[in-house]
Amino acid sequence: MTTAREKGLALCRTCGTLTDRPGETCTVCGAKTRLRNPHSIQKVWALWIAGVVAYIPGNVMPIMVTQSASGESPATIMGGVITLIHHESYAIAAVIFIASIVVPLSKFAVIAWLTLSIQRQWAIDDHRRHFAHELVEFIGRWSMIDVFVVAALAALIQIGGLMSILPGPGVDAFAMSVIFTMFSAMSLDPRLIWDRPSKTPETKHVPA
Amino acid sequence: MSVLGEPKPSLARQREVDALNRTWIACPYCDSLWRRPVLQEGQRVKCGRCHSVILTNKHRSAERTIALMIASLILYAVAISFPFMRMERSGLSNEISVIDSVMILWTNDMNSLAVICGAFILLFPLSRIILLLFVGMSLLGKVSTGRPHALSFRLAQYLEPWTMAEIFMIGVIVSLVKVGKLADISLGPAFWGMSGLIVLLTLGASAVCRDTIWQDIRRTP
Repeated sequence: MTTAREKGLALCRTCGTLTDRPGETCTVCGAKTRLRNPHSIQKVWALWIAGVVAYIPGNVMPIMVTQSASGESPATIMGGVITLIHHESYAIAAVIFIASIVVPLSKFAVIAWLTLSIQRQWAIDDHRRHFAHELVEFIGRWSMIDVFVVAALAALIQIGGLMSILPGPGVDAFAMSVIFTMFSAMSLDPRLIWDRPSKTPETKHVPA
Repeated sequence: MSVLGEPKPSLARQREVDALNRTWIACPYCDSLWRRPVLQEGQRVKCGRCHSVILTNKHRSAERTIALMIASLILYAVAISFPFMRMERSGLSNEISVIDSVMILWTNDMNSLAVICGAFILLFPLSRIILLLFVGMSLLGKVSTGRPHALSFRLAQYLEPWTMAEIFMIGVIVSLVKVGKLADISLGPAFWGMSGLIVLLTLGASAVCRDTIWQDIRRTP
């Protein structure tokens, strides 16, 4: 079995066209063809760090403020989950908990594990890592649920002085965290998972 | 997006690339190189190394894409402009459409939420529908193929993870449960329009045959 790179061929990841001139602009779709996504690992880490940093205020600061005659009550993501449990909406509490807490945290862990496994050349089954990458790319967008919950509530509940719901500062941070993490997962070139470990770091092979 | 700025590659070069791609295929996930098989309609090929599906030839892909995108366009109009939800509490009622709600967010200084919703629910899904419609039409030969075709399909591909209508709907359902105890909520036609739109967009995404489209562009320089 040979790889395209061993034959000096580069695959355009946008349109699937092979070229014998790696680095040229793809003649079919106009994207840049690369043997491997240049600086893939650095991009992944940079966006990963941005995602983790934004995740902290996203969880510590309130994402939603309810204003009513009885005053203002801010709620964080975890606060919202606990309120739902008190109201015995267990299924909805579980959806929010999974989408806003479990998924982002496991995404951070999986991306870090994948990237480290590539950098340190850990001997882990390639199929397992490949599956983990697919899963992370597929599932990451679903963390946006809570942002849309706040948006829907804020748009709907605007009844003059009676009651209104406003977004808290946490919601922007949380949305940024999800977006950064999505870009982080996309920056990881899956071909690096399958490259044989005898090679020097991938990015150095790529012609400018 | 460099395609518009770059000079068009020479015809000879395009033929050269096409010839190379008629013989070889590489897996986008693991980079293994294979002889390109010829697929019958409905067949698909998995990579022998990482087992990802790397080549498809979907049944009547262009026709199905066009049909689903036209239907999506109609439901999209319903989903964004008709009343989405109606809320009543202590004699006061509030009826909003999706467009209204984005406007409300914008005018009440919740700009970031308005931008997120406007882009992920309104702008990106609509752009994707129109781009795929255009790509489907050119595949059937109704519109000439070429660079705009390639750029459109590329953009449609990039937009795919960022169209979040289905996630928005789950968010709406959660928010209904949250306010259910505070007010009377009833659902408007747009709610069902949006639900239908999600189904159509999902079917549309699976009707698109990426390989056939790019192959078509590659073979008609």
